[in-house]
Amino acid sequence: MSTRKIGLTALLFLIVYVVQEAFITQLGITGGGFSLFLIFALLWAALSSPDIGALTGFVAGLLIDLSQSTSGALGQWTFVLILVGFGVSYLGLGYENVRMNPFTITFLITMAVVAARVLYLLLSLLLGESMGSITSIVISILIGALWTAAATPLVMPVIARAYDFIDDTRSRI
Amino acid sequence: MARGGENRGRLLLIILVITSLFLITLDLRGVSVISGLRSGTQTALSPVQSFGSIVLSPVRNFFVDVINLGRTRSEMEELRETNGRLQSQLREKINIDSQLEQLQGSLDLAGKAGFKVVSARVISQGATTSFTQTITIDAGSRNGIKPNMTVINAFGLVGVVKTVFPNTALISLAIDPSFRVGVRVAGSQQIGILSGQGSRKGVLQLLDNQSTISVGDILVARGSVENQPFVPGVPIGEVTSVDNAAGAVTQTADVSFFVNFSAIGIVSVVMKAPDVDPRDALIPKAPVPTPIPTVTVYVTPSRSPSPSSGG
Repeated sequence: MSTRKIGLTALLFLIVYVVQEAFITQLGITGGGFSLFLIFALLWAALSSPDIGALTGFVAGLLIDLSQSTSGALGQWTFVLILVGFGVSYLGLGYENVRMNPFTITFLITMAVVAARVLYLLLSLLLGESMGSITSIVISILIGALWTAAATPLVMPVIARAYDFIDDTRSRI
Repeated sequence: MARGGENRGRLLLIILVITSLFLITLDLRGVSVISGLRSGTQTALSPVQSFGSIVLSPVRNFFVDVINLGRTRSEMEELRETNGRLQSQLREKINIDSQLEQLQGSLDLAGKAGFKVVSARVISQGATTSFTQTITIDAGSRNGIKPNMTVINAFGLVGVVKTVFPNTALISLAIDPSFRVGVRVAGSQQIGILSGQGSRKGVLQLLDNQSTISVGDILVARGSVENQPFVPGVPIGEVTSVDNAAGAVTQTADVSFFVNFSAIGIVSVVMKAPDVDPRDALIPKAPVPTPIPTVTVYVTPSRSPSPSSGG
């Protein structure tokens, strides 16, 4: 990976992170809305090889951990997104049709967001944090999944183009 | 070669996982560098968040209008009659008026209790991705705010200051699943513990198995030692249903919070509370029905003029 690629990728991640923290969180979307940064990171991982996917998850997780709205231990999201980033990119690499079809990739990202949140929840419970009633957790996860499924197709073309621009390869989606 | 690449990938994955576990361990052990990282990020982001709050205010108001369409239909009808520019100005004015009203109400409550407060604007709502209910306000340690201070608004308890940054502070809302507050039932003086549930309702558990509560009972904060994290007497909510399950050790009840957590614009952080407990003095008074005056008109027919009186 060249310095240019690393620099541009880092800049892009930082921009999306700031947009998420400064703008998306202020929209007050019903049911908690979606995390643009999480969708972006998982889409990026899905387009990459498994080791880059894990690295993407590490960086994205670390940035989410640094967010003021994250109350868990620092490293918790990092741990979760390393695993999910690796898993998403492994699935994307193993099944080429996943990458070629926008519907399957939307499904994959939605499931990845759900998996990440469930993993985070389990890790929080292991660390002894209070998570609220089961009903509110299930509702929160379901609404989050619906918002992710709605938002992913909208941002996918932009992210795919940005990925291709940085990666200098033809469009995969 | 392929095996070498695979091994390198595995090694990278293991290193990353170990690093993340190392970070979790350091954070749980309270290493100051880790908390400094979060504080640094927040300090860097707070100006952008404040800018975002100003820019997105009309958009946010639009979403609120859409959600409350049924309730604000009459307002919407009025707004439709105006042109686009006036609509924008009107939304801006509604926003400012609402914030002013919230500020006034918040200061009224604080003044009634004799609290010394610092009022602040909500600049961000915490993402529910992490199953927490938080808000960020535009006042921090530079304004004298410290962790564990009570946060109120016009309607009562909003939450507690969780983390303080130089210019901002993170507030844990009363509906947060990890939120616990000691409460007192106004009037009967029974005590219990109210827990947030991540939804609009909280759950009250009485401490005494001889006590009973009923629907409509008002809860106020019991207060903490040296008024932190809770100052006494702040209204919290109203009992909406009581669980009378046979075999339960103590009674539990669902509580509806007075504060509408989805529409918080201005809050006040209690810096200092008087030594005297205000008891039930801060509870909002029940509305008194205003008698509608009826006007009765008695019509008395005037005498018809007689020929003699007419001259």
